[in-house]
Amino acid sequence: MLSKLDKKIIGLIYKDIPLTKKPFRDLADELGIEERLLLERIRFFKKSGLMRKFAASLNHKKIGFRYNAMVVWNIPGRFVDKAGNIMASFDEVSHCYERKPRPGWKYNLYSMVHGRTRGDCFDVVRKISKTLGGNVDHKALFSFKEEKKTGAKF
Amino acid sequence: MKLTALDKRILNRLQEDIPFVTRPWAAVARELYIEEGLLIKRISFLNKKGIIRRISAVFSPRKVNFASTLAAVKAVPGNVGRIAKKINSYPEVTHNYRRGGPYDLWFTLVARNRGRIMHIMRQLKKDRDIEEISEFPTVKLFKINVKFPV
Repeated sequence: MLSKLDKKIIGLIYKDIPLTKKPFRDLADELGIEERLLLERIRFFKKSGLMRKFAASLNHKKIGFRYNAMVVWNIPGRFVDKAGNIMASFDEVSHCYERKPRPGWKYNLYSMVHGRTRGDCFDVVRKISKTLGGNVDHKALFSFKEEKKTGAKF
Repeated sequence: MKLTALDKRILNRLQEDIPFVTRPWAAVARELYIEEGLLIKRISFLNKKGIIRRISAVFSPRKVNFASTLAAVKAVPGNVGRIAKKINSYPEVTHNYRRGGPYDLWFTLVARNRGRIMHIMRQLKKDRDIEEISEFPTVKLFKINVKFPV
């Protein structure tokens, strides 16, 4: 269970950190706690896996990664773990999840592939497919418009 | 926009954790062999240009007891734009992309609890221009690591 203080800290640091010389001190002041305590909690969040990272999120497009495809795969249950680990090993794959299929939608493994060109994305999909032994039923769903992208609010 | 060699080094470094110390920018600047003031100036520039969206803590929703899901919508032709705006109006919606394939929009939700997600899904379902709205809940997470070599 998270303490009240931890929740307050999370509610503050999921937002942009101030660009001041001592940003954690400023955040600690805002919370009315010692900077030392704030840093200790942040280190704890990281160590326990609550916090994935405390880092910059970039605009993919503006740094040249203009294409992304959500590739959905239909993988037989007993191969899902192996296939998921293979996909996860590709640098170009940012997310990989097993998800519940639905009636009319048999795909159960999802990998998000990023590239500078559509061709780059297809190359990665081909490489994954080949590593899986080829002939794997899949679809590459390219995004053609980003409607929204923001961080989660805690 | 053309990024300088220094900007690229900054962007590559900042996609990793910043140091949890009193003066994190000074520490990062030292790693990059530049002055703290210059680093802050470049970050603020990259921020303004929208290249850096934000520098912040990113939490695992599940581990902080939040609920999350992936959902998709089939819209009545000609209405995707309006439906997208409606979906975006919920602060719980973190990503929303138009994609090729049978579903027009794919979006993710992160909410305080499962009930709130179900409520939003029910609300959206009432829209006449939504032909189908479905959820694709996670069974297993294999990877989440959003990092781009700049």
